[in-house]
Amino acid sequence: MIVALAIVVFLPFVLGIGLYLQSTLLLEEQSLFRILFTSQWQPMSGKFGLLGFILSSLMVTALSLLIAGPVCLLTAIHLTQYAKKYVLKIMHPVIDILAGIPSVIYGVWGIIVIVPLVSKYLAPFFGVQTSGYTLLTGAIVLSVMIIPFILNILIEVFRSIPTELTEASLALGATRWQTIKHVIVRKGFPGIISAMGLGVSRAFGETIAVLMVVGNVVKIPTGVFQPGYPLPALIANNYGEMMSIPQYQSALMFSALVLFVVVMLFNLASRIAISRFETK
Amino acid sequence: MKKKYYKWLMALAIGLFFLPGSGCQGPSSQKASDGDELRGTISISGAWALYPMTVKWSEEFRKLHPRVRIDISAGGAGKGFTDAMSGMVDLGMFSRGFTQAELDRGVWYVGVTKDAVIPVINETNPFKEQILKRGITREEFQEIYLNQSITKWKDLLNIQDDNAIHVYTRSDACGAAEMFAEYLGKHQENLLGTGVFGDPGIASAVKNDPFGMGYNNVNFVYDLQTRRPYPGLVVIPLDLNQNGKIDPEEDFYDTLDELNTAIRDGIYPAPPARPLYFVAKSKPGRKEVIELLRWILTSGQEFVDEAGYVALPDQVIEEELKKLN
Repeated sequence: MIVALAIVVFLPFVLGIGLYLQSTLLLEEQSLFRILFTSQWQPMSGKFGLLGFILSSLMVTALSLLIAGPVCLLTAIHLTQYAKKYVLKIMHPVIDILAGIPSVIYGVWGIIVIVPLVSKYLAPFFGVQTSGYTLLTGAIVLSVMIIPFILNILIEVFRSIPTELTEASLALGATRWQTIKHVIVRKGFPGIISAMGLGVSRAFGETIAVLMVVGNVVKIPTGVFQPGYPLPALIANNYGEMMSIPQYQSALMFSALVLFVVVMLFNLASRIAISRFETK
Repeated sequence: MKKKYYKWLMALAIGLFFLPGSGCQGPSSQKASDGDELRGTISISGAWALYPMTVKWSEEFRKLHPRVRIDISAGGAGKGFTDAMSGMVDLGMFSRGFTQAELDRGVWYVGVTKDAVIPVINETNPFKEQILKRGITREEFQEIYLNQSITKWKDLLNIQDDNAIHVYTRSDACGAAEMFAEYLGKHQENLLGTGVFGDPGIASAVKNDPFGMGYNNVNFVYDLQTRRPYPGLVVIPLDLNQNGKIDPEEDFYDTLDELNTAIRDGIYPAPPARPLYFVAKSKPGRKEVIELLRWILTSGQEFVDEAGYVALPDQVIEEELKKLN
């Protein structure tokens, strides 16, 4: 048992150190600053700027959370506060199915449904001409993918709030909605933060579904109808083909390290946020 | 999803392999000469572009030498190279030119077949007739794919129309994109346009976009059964002599066989036509590996056409065979 525990505890460290060692070749040649804050990616001419990829990743993640966050919050409130018991019973398997669908299927669905939707309806509505492979397309696909994960946690969070609290609030004459706003959401706030944090981590690392619809153009995206190129897509697109070129491989390993560190930071931030709220 | 599809194929192949009495007890195994010496396992990994061809070759080779086992897996040219150099596999499949960094590692390679990358547009493109009549020159492709000085169809044709050219390129690093870029004098990383994953990805993006332009491996444009382009795709003829129109000798895109002849004879330029290689750490020492390569370069070449690839010219085969001695 202790051994198993030790393995689990050390796993992230081993992963991180491994990635770091693999990327030293690149770090010896170029300054960290130059890699992280320039956006020219031309490995054959020795330019390894990751800024465009990092920003694309952040943008697509933020967008997907903007879409999925409110939807999940309202759904969870409805399911736990208003809906009949049997609705929740029906919803659980639905959520599980959504969570269990392989990423590739989401990607194919994105190409078949969301790409034409964006190019034929959404973009012209805003007066933009695009092929449909955009940051927004990626974010829409991603938001559908992370909904089940956020929703599951939110439902648990709201169900774990003691009924005495809501009863007390209602007894004092608060309306149903006031109770939800001031009691349920406030009491469940750390849980909401951690649910969103998990969604962000998942979204940030999602690879295949996003890379199939996001456009994969190397430049800093300036709007939601621009194509983007997230970090995981960079690794998945190039690894198998280019691992025989040492410098290239090292650059890909470094982008994996960046990905790893960013997800760690997200987790850390949501941990801190949770503990802040719990001590209040 | 080409990759997924191959993975299933692979799983199926492996599954079939373990079925008792599959594969090597067919009537064809009687062709094997008695006292067949060849036995052992040959492992191959690498480029997707060469995978279907290699599977076909290994099937045919095992009809002659049932005691040889051939394990094939795909994962990209870089993976094949790395596996071969580390001795994990006997042969790596490789589908692009070698970079200096790769040559510096002292790789041994032998060319086995050719294929080509061809530019395509959508069948319902409103300017299809004009494009088929005039073709597109290398310089114009450079303006479209590298410099973005041609962004609309009217920049290319003499028309009043404001539609943009929706340029598609491959998002995944691959020999096809690298070869198309080399034709334009650059690398894949310099190609502009929307990045789509995989060969079928570009094909379907262009099929669904009347203003789309992309490039594909020949196998993904032509139907191997009918030998004609798949419905929905039209090949952009290359205006090779740059006289602003497609001459009869530049017009060889009707059928796969015409195109393959043009590729083999070098009329269709290389790049974007490309040789496909097997690589190894050093010249293979094992008899069965050498025999497999020798068979591929001789009798094996007759299976190339039906699989949609291009046979190597005779003098090239002579050269490659010398490497095996």
